[in-house]
Amino acid sequence: MKMIVLEKLKNLDFIVFGITLILLIFSVINIYSASYHEFSNLYLKQIVFVSFSLLIILTTTFLFDYRWLLSLSFYLYIIGIILLILVKFVGTTILGAKRWINLGFFQLQPSELMKGIMIIFSASYISSSKLPIGLKDFFKLMIFSFIPFLLVYSQPDLGSGIMIVLPVLVIVFLAGFKLRYIFIFLLILLVSSPFIWMHLKDYQKNRILAVLNPEADPKGTAYHVIQSKIAIGSGMLTGKGYLQGSQSKYFFLPEQHTDFIFASIGEEWGFVVSFTLVSLYLVLSLRIFLIGKGTKDNFGKFICYAVASLLAFQSFINIAMNLAIAPVVGVPLPFLSYGGTALLTFSFLIGLVLNIVYINKSQLFQLYSEETGEY
Amino acid sequence: MKFSRFHFLLLLLLSVYLILVGRLFYLQVIKGEYYREISDRNYIKIFYSNPPRGKIYDRNGVLLAYDVPTFDLIGFPYIIRENYSIEDLKTVLKQMFDLDLDEKNQEIIKRNLLPKITLKKNLSQKDVENFYNYSYLLKGFYLEVVPKRVYTPEANYLPHIIGYVGFPAKEEVEKNPDITLNTLVGKAGVEKVYDNLLRGKAGQKAVLVDAFGRQKKVLWEKDPEKGNDIYLSIDVRLQKIVYDAFKSSGHKSGAVVLVDPNTYQILAALSYPTYDLQKFYEGFKPEEWKALTQDKYTPLLDKVFNGRYPPGSIYKPLVSIAALEEGVITPETRILSGPEFRIGDYKYRNWNKAGCGYINVAQALEMSCDTFYYQVGLKLGVDDIYKYTKLFGIGEKLNPDIEKKTAIVPNREWKKKVLKQGWFYGDTVNLSIGQGYLSIPPFDATKIVVPIANGGKVLKPQILKGYYDNKKQMFIHLNPEVVRTIKIKKWNLDTVKYGMYLVVYGPQGTAKALKTVPVKNAGKTGTAQVYTYLTRQKKHSKWELRDHAWFIDFAPYENPQVAGVVFVEHGESGGGTAAPLMAYILKRAFKEGVFEVK
Repeated sequence: MKMIVLEKLKNLDFIVFGITLILLIFSVINIYSASYHEFSNLYLKQIVFVSFSLLIILTTTFLFDYRWLLSLSFYLYIIGIILLILVKFVGTTILGAKRWINLGFFQLQPSELMKGIMIIFSASYISSSKLPIGLKDFFKLMIFSFIPFLLVYSQPDLGSGIMIVLPVLVIVFLAGFKLRYIFIFLLILLVSSPFIWMHLKDYQKNRILAVLNPEADPKGTAYHVIQSKIAIGSGMLTGKGYLQGSQSKYFFLPEQHTDFIFASIGEEWGFVVSFTLVSLYLVLSLRIFLIGKGTKDNFGKFICYAVASLLAFQSFINIAMNLAIAPVVGVPLPFLSYGGTALLTFSFLIGLVLNIVYINKSQLFQLYSEETGEY
Repeated sequence: MKFSRFHFLLLLLLSVYLILVGRLFYLQVIKGEYYREISDRNYIKIFYSNPPRGKIYDRNGVLLAYDVPTFDLIGFPYIIRENYSIEDLKTVLKQMFDLDLDEKNQEIIKRNLLPKITLKKNLSQKDVENFYNYSYLLKGFYLEVVPKRVYTPEANYLPHIIGYVGFPAKEEVEKNPDITLNTLVGKAGVEKVYDNLLRGKAGQKAVLVDAFGRQKKVLWEKDPEKGNDIYLSIDVRLQKIVYDAFKSSGHKSGAVVLVDPNTYQILAALSYPTYDLQKFYEGFKPEEWKALTQDKYTPLLDKVFNGRYPPGSIYKPLVSIAALEEGVITPETRILSGPEFRIGDYKYRNWNKAGCGYINVAQALEMSCDTFYYQVGLKLGVDDIYKYTKLFGIGEKLNPDIEKKTAIVPNREWKKKVLKQGWFYGDTVNLSIGQGYLSIPPFDATKIVVPIANGGKVLKPQILKGYYDNKKQMFIHLNPEVVRTIKIKKWNLDTVKYGMYLVVYGPQGTAKALKTVPVKNAGKTGTAQVYTYLTRQKKHSKWELRDHAWFIDFAPYENPQVAGVVFVEHGESGGGTAAPLMAYILKRAFKEGVFEVK
């Protein structure tokens, strides 16, 4: 028995698992701090979510086979779309956005779920098409990702919408889609950007303008940006100390346990820890990219690429917006921001990556050494 | 190894990472001191200042409503706790402000749970003096000015018109940058309708405050803007006379509206009984509130605009104009009008059992002859009655800002839609004397008399005479607005006016009480059935079942200066109840110089 467990653990990717574990534990610590002055028991809920997440990661790694998803991916996609439509009718409205379905014990956020589903669906789609991917498949895939994008965008939640489409674009790129098409695509995007700007909601425009010139409207949209900058900057090298962040504790910093948790971490823990945190996200996504590179099975490969790019983009955009160099688009920081659905979705995705390693172990270890020479 | 797409992506990732780390280094290490300075020792505080709300005057400048400042004691917990122990703090607050610090606030200060707290509201004069005399000793406190509305005793003659103010909801404050949680905003009446004029704009000052609460640097500032003073079209002298008339008459419930028929400015508008405006704004005791809401004479209801009652015979001048203009009758046409009128088996009685005889329209108005109008109404038909009712503006909001309920004006479609029935001749018969399904707010009675008095002009009613515009530094007058003109032949109009003159001065007139008014005037009585009962002589024992009493009037007969309506809810008789009230009002108004006797 002991032998079997050890045998299994040998095939666990400790870098991915280790970093995930660190992030999960760190999330409980910081959500306790961020909600401390509101007499809130948010951190207790987070403990429950984190325990569930670990359970999901471990079962997905060891008791699952990611290839089962190949035939299920289309149904998952349909379920995701149905949930997104459902949220329009029975959704709960918080701060003007309809994003949640109240299940009584849990507020389900279908847009977060859709991020995971879109990864599985597009990976399965690409892995079963002829490679390098052609124009026809590209357009089909674009249509498939545009439907959930529009549904999420209209909630309104531009950030999550982008996060649903971005990983798809990355794996299309990696699946060898012709460069000249990509340039044409980018050109069209560039030409149409004035029209997109026209169709943005006022608050979205304000957020973009706020990054360009935050001092112009210090009490409005830019308030978040300025307060976040003050919070992070005032953390200096080593931080003000745990539970000592005055920016967050005097309510200067809004949404400090969701989208702006990085600012509250920066204030209390300082440069050393924030720098380490950014690096952890980089290492985690690089590692998953490399796992993808080393996986022979195309489905597994593209899942890894998509998961890695989702993690990288989402964490980097969130951090950039905390640092006031990207518009406030409302993407949470993976694993650290409070939010059940996002946490469980990301945990399942990490579980999938670990499962891919576990199933393809023999080929993997060979390829690592060949490709990079570092492993 | 070839540079592949995969490497391009990794490179992209790496460069974004480097940008983030660079930015992090810049903010936390290079500019760290600067941001620490802002956040750790200096806090940004936003102070709001609420400018006084505009005053409300009557048309002659009699003050009705104004603001006085009150003061709240505010504390900054994070400053207080660094300068006082809880025991010291308790002593200081007790001695200076006679304030006992409760458990909750102690906890907030001890644990620094809120950026600022309100410690005491509405400080006394002595408290404020103490604060300023000992301000050098106090650390972490400041006074916030909170405006309070004061209504003068004169305003109590028109509480429904004035309305009231209150503090806005949190959502309103978030939507509107010009108000704060301590800005007074209008909640009803002219306070609400002209809130944009009255309110002004709150000022803001963002200040860096150090650990002792001293203001170190103003970051940005927005000056407050004072609200504009408004002048109602109401003449408080007249309003008081109207109020006295009702009060001294002993009648319990009703409404009076007097307007200038040439401009349709409302000169007086009383919904009776009234209530104490200041108490209403500051909050009644529970038992007082209960008494008010359960009073069967409904003092809280604005009967002028928000009640709806059958008008009865005051509707007849309108029907007369319709019949004359449509050519159903001429001023000379005589119709035999007996004690009752039959359609098949149905009998429609005249209010006076003697009948009226062989009479023309002016005489029919004089005697308020029902059987005359039954016949004329049937010839005219419901469609034309409806057409003229709408032309006069009844069933329409001529000024949606001040009118609340619209009249119910029945016609064929209305009956089909609401009652799912066809229109019967009997319905037309009832409608032609202002009974049946017709139901109007008392204000709409002025819509009958104003065009008759001014020669056919339907105007937009105004409650505001003008306002003083602070920005332009000048008085803005509101001009009369003609909505439309009803084309009435002079001879027809003169006939109806003459009929209304006979109501007062004719041998068989129903409102002889108005003869005592020092100028010639003309009117029309109305006694609207609430509940059918056969013997009219007997007064019904239950107040709720008695007839409504109405009287409309304009004066002087030539070049009218005033037109209006008296409505006494369940007052029993237009001639016996409403007309004497109007007589009292006009008599005093002309004698005391509210209007000139020419």
